[in-house]
Amino acid sequence: MINLYFLIIMPILIAVILYLSTNKWVKLFSIILQVFMVAAAIINFIFVKINGEVIEYIGGWEHYAGIALRGDLFACVMVMLTTILFLGMLIFTYTTRYINKLFLLLFVILQSLIIGIFLSNDLFNIYVLIEVGTIIVSILIMFKKDSQAIYDGMVYLLVNIVAMIMFLFGIGFIYKIFGVLDMYRIQELMHLVESPRSLILPYALLITPVALKGALMPLFSWLPKAHGTPSAPSIVSAILSGLYVKGGIYLFIRIQQMFSGVIDTSQYFLILGFLTGTVGLFLALCQTDIKLILAYSTISQIGLIMIGINFNDPNAYWGGIYHIVNHAFFKSTLFLTAGLIIDTYHTRNIGEIRGVFRKMPVVSTISILAILGVTGAPLFNGSISKYLIQSGMQGTFYDYALIFINLGTVVYFMKYITIFFGKDENHEGVVDKYSRSVIVVLGLACFVGGLYGQWFIKLLFNQAVDIDVILYMKKSIVYFLTLVIGVIVYRRVVAHSKLLHRVREIELSFNNICFTIMIFFSVTTVYLMIIY
Amino acid sequence: MIFLEWLNGEIVAIILFFIGVYGLISRRNIVKTVISIWIMEVAVILFFMTIHYQKTSVPPIGEAIKGTMADPLPQALMVTAIVIGVSVTAVSLTMFITLYHKYGSTNWEKVMKKRMD
Repeated sequence: MINLYFLIIMPILIAVILYLSTNKWVKLFSIILQVFMVAAAIINFIFVKINGEVIEYIGGWEHYAGIALRGDLFACVMVMLTTILFLGMLIFTYTTRYINKLFLLLFVILQSLIIGIFLSNDLFNIYVLIEVGTIIVSILIMFKKDSQAIYDGMVYLLVNIVAMIMFLFGIGFIYKIFGVLDMYRIQELMHLVESPRSLILPYALLITPVALKGALMPLFSWLPKAHGTPSAPSIVSAILSGLYVKGGIYLFIRIQQMFSGVIDTSQYFLILGFLTGTVGLFLALCQTDIKLILAYSTISQIGLIMIGINFNDPNAYWGGIYHIVNHAFFKSTLFLTAGLIIDTYHTRNIGEIRGVFRKMPVVSTISILAILGVTGAPLFNGSISKYLIQSGMQGTFYDYALIFINLGTVVYFMKYITIFFGKDENHEGVVDKYSRSVIVVLGLACFVGGLYGQWFIKLLFNQAVDIDVILYMKKSIVYFLTLVIGVIVYRRVVAHSKLLHRVREIELSFNNICFTIMIFFSVTTVYLMIIY
Repeated sequence: MIFLEWLNGEIVAIILFFIGVYGLISRRNIVKTVISIWIMEVAVILFFMTIHYQKTSVPPIGEAIKGTMADPLPQALMVTAIVIGVSVTAVSLTMFITLYHKYGSTNWEKVMKKRMD
């Protein structure tokens, strides 16, 4: 067992070494240290898997007085995912030119903050980590100082800060009621609360920023700006979309656990998850910028995860959790390959990119593997998680809703794969061996995660799920039908529609984004007032 | 001043917080947005300072303490929050300067329109 705080401090040390050293081998050295990080995360995971949850009190205070780090199975899996993805990203950019020292410093510090968010069990500590993370992410977004990116970075920073002040206000109310900040202690004390009405305001104040971090229905307008901004380096987009958004979902699960027994809003978030999935896929259809298609696709997939974890069924829940891991793999693969394609073609417009398959066969094959993963093709990782989510809700409305969302996913990826066909003579496709090996490994992970899905869930979460072969075959047939319908819908409707062009031009200003935050907050409060 | 008895720190904090929210929703000037955010931050700090306030409590300093001690944790937390708030304001103002150099406007709507082109 390696101390948990070590996992948080280590990336900061790596970042400082990278920043200060002038040695030309320092990048290689940092990659070796990252390999140690992965090893440490795996050792911790094995330890936690065998011996159960670990709680570490920093500063040697007695229980619940100081800051606690909590390593349970879910947190350890997320930490493992973080270290693996960051190792991949550092190898990916091994020879890239725009990656200078300041960029690496910020990027690797972000790793320690994300790990901190996953491990921390103290509300105020989480607030501090997210706030620092917000500043770092906004600097990373506008790193190339493109004029669009500055606006995007500014909106991202201010919107997230507004949300985090609400979070701090919520912490104030929680501290007033419970007198502690430790999430487990609050959960233990929860049954002493006499009426749930007294918890409505703190709950609404805490859940609104978390929903914003997780990009739920009205609160996602910052996400395409942050993830799809033209000039942000592709590794930043990959980490933000693959991992950082999951921080929001993770906190959502933790806060729901904290309030469990007193406040139950799973129906509310189930509806919101459906809306998020639908709106996300509709907006993804409207885009012509390949990065923005991927960014809106993230929103749609988050809707899917929310449906899974809020549907009151163990299979659907574990499907949702497994989809978090899967989404991290295929979405980071897609963003990295999209970055390579953009670097070759110098454009992001989907209409101008043609003939990628002939020019970059490896990149295209990996992209297609990842797309098969996203759309849930049989044997790929997305199919397992989507199967599990659906198997818990046979015959309900959400069963069909999921098929509908998947149909939408197929349609907008039909649009995406048009870039692989055709011919193009003008551009030179060069991919260095480091980038290529990283995307190949990530792309294959999408396939392996599907082939051994059941086994992985058993390994990662100690959770036995059964996959019924006949039902799985049925779902596969449904998938192929969806594919056919998707192609027809794309050819007949989407390719000629003018409405989509108009929708693309709708954009919320900063004041309106703040207004949507307040609407979300008020609606949540009113909903809770009605049901309690 | 008995009629002001209800006006304690918490109420003032909530009022201030929503004044900040009003500023965020209704003002298009970016500098005013930053000011509104700081007003909200101050409201939260005031809230933390007053939540466990008792008139008779004494500061937790020294060894022989008579009476109930004041809760030191909110103060400790708020020192951190103030530091974070100051740095956040500094970063947003720095970004605003760069934004102003690129777009030449302090208005959110105008900046957004220029970004679309």
